Amino acid sequence: MESPLVPYLPILAVLLLAGLMAMAIPALTTRLGPRSVNPIKSESFECGNPTLGTARQRFAVKFYVVALLFIVFDVEAVFLYPWAVNFRALGWFGYGTMLMFASTLVMGLVYIWKKGALEWES
Amino acid sequence: MNTPSFGLDDFLPVLPAAILTAGAILLLVSEVFLGSATRTYQALLAVVTSVAAGALAFSNAFLPAHAVLQGYAVLDPFSSFTTVVVCLGTGLGALLGAGFLKHRNAERGEFYALLLFAAAGMSLLAMSAEFITLFVNLEVLSVSTYALTAYLRRGPRPSEAGFKYFILGAFAAALLLYGAALLYGATGTTHLSEMAAGLGAAAKAQPALVACGFFLVGAGFAFKVAAVPFHMWTPDVYEGAPTPVTAVMSAGVKAAAFVALVRVFLFLGPVFDPEVVFVIFSALAAATMVVGNLLAIPQRNVKRMLAYSSVAHAGYLLSGVAALFAPATVAPKSGVLSASATWGADSALRGEALKGLLFYLLAYTVTSLGSFGVVGALERREDETKGNAWDLDRFSGLAQRRPFQAAAMAVFLLSLGGIPPTVGFMAKLLVFRAAVDAGLVGLAVLGVLSSAAGVYYYLRVVVYMYMRPAVEGMQTPERQWTTEFALAASALAVVGLGLLPGSVSDWLSRAGLIFGQ
Repeated sequence: MESPLVPYLPILAVLLLAGLMAMAIPALTTRLGPRSVNPIKSESFECGNPTLGTARQRFAVKFYVVALLFIVFDVEAVFLYPWAVNFRALGWFGYGTMLMFASTLVMGLVYIWKKGALEWES
Repeated sequence: MNTPSFGLDDFLPVLPAAILTAGAILLLVSEVFLGSATRTYQALLAVVTSVAAGALAFSNAFLPAHAVLQGYAVLDPFSSFTTVVVCLGTGLGALLGAGFLKHRNAERGEFYALLLFAAAGMSLLAMSAEFITLFVNLEVLSVSTYALTAYLRRGPRPSEAGFKYFILGAFAAALLLYGAALLYGATGTTHLSEMAAGLGAAAKAQPALVACGFFLVGAGFAFKVAAVPFHMWTPDVYEGAPTPVTAVMSAGVKAAAFVALVRVFLFLGPVFDPEVVFVIFSALAAATMVVGNLLAIPQRNVKRMLAYSSVAHAGYLLSGVAALFAPATVAPKSGVLSASATWGADSALRGEALKGLLFYLLAYTVTSLGSFGVVGALERREDETKGNAWDLDRFSGLAQRRPFQAAAMAVFLLSLGGIPPTVGFMAKLLVFRAAVDAGLVGLAVLGVLSSAAGVYYYLRVVVYMYMRPAVEGMQTPERQWTTEFALAASALAVVGLGLLPGSVSDWLSRAGLIFGQ
């Protein structure tokens, strides 16, 4: 019996090829390319202002909160689209199910709102 | 397009989980709208919710076993029993949490909401009969527990525990998912029953694929139940988590993960290769019992000792799982379509093993909740940073200072050690008897010997409580009625179920027969 994975063989080939290229190209450039090191070249940016301080800044936690909330409601949208397309076919059953799902999320929205997670300035 | 139609048969079984979820949402909303200073009502609301869900699950246990929601889940006495155990654990855990958080001024609705979300995940996990449902519910329960572990986020310990648990837990979940994906690739279905039907042919066509999938799924579960060598996270996470959370983790999370493991492997194990499955579970059981007990012996930190003891108890449970696959009880390899057709003659033995497992889960739930409850009741917020919050010295002379808590702790420790007339003895008896009946005498002897080693470190705490004078400077926080109530209920259950194990055995017998129907 032919393995069901056989159709995926080209993907394996592409993966191997990509890995090979990723290793070969840097190796070839370091070996073949001409190299001239000078102080200006070793700066982070050749144009613009010289860099100030470290890049490892601490971010306010509110960025993460907003990102998380974005994902939650983004996923809701992902669920809403196929439901909206099939709205007629799903009928009242689909309506009720989606109402339940959406109301759960609304409760979540009420919670984060009252909790102050949406306040940027505080 | 045909719309699926669902009836009461589909909704009634998932209603306990729905009640738990509704309770959690109510708690979240009440937390932001009712800004009152006292929040004891939240613990009570959580208790009422879990009691309601547990009562409903109890009544569901009398329904005939049937597939739910197009076969994505099943309702049987097995899953109902687990839901009742989970609800019991959640209710007691919420009561323990109330006093613990009050002392730390950290009572918030989110704590109880997360507990209830986790309980809903556990209840549905026990019912799952399909890999995606199983995985989603495993994640619902895991993500809630990750958050609960780091609930008291100040200080290095909870964040270390939360982070470790999250990283390792996510890794284990990925292993499980990868394994499930490979099994799906081999059989073309995610439903356990259909997978079991197709796995025999798939294993012949692609043995490596099926074997990889099988072992990855097994490793994912072994992590969740903290079996050696997947136990490394347990002591650190159990120690760093707030003690009531540890109690719930060792009780509910473990019970749900075990039940899911048993369900998955009862479906797939016999078809895949019963011998290999048997050898692996026996080896896991032996290693887990021995390593868990040996590592618990040198611990002076009682919370850490109980964490290792929970590893050891996973080993006893695994010996019950091994008994399910013992050579005598295993069906012939070919032509497995439904479990009943081939298990036939040995279903009595298998039923006994399942009965033992479920009783053990119930016993361990009440016992470990109680023991962690006492540990939590004795730790003071001020001592947590010093690192001696759980030292044995804290238990010195407890019998004089807190006679009730000392007595309750003694009962729990005797039960953990498996000494009659406690429930721990009956549970060990049932599991080891199932192992002996299945011909696993060696494993049973190892289990009894290693639990004899366990008696040493359990009784050491009793010696400290009753025979040592109190150590200076070891204050204990005020007593809380919620904690005392939960401890009393657990102690009563430990002794009551130990004396009258027959009160649940009818139910357990029916639960043990589920796969024979």
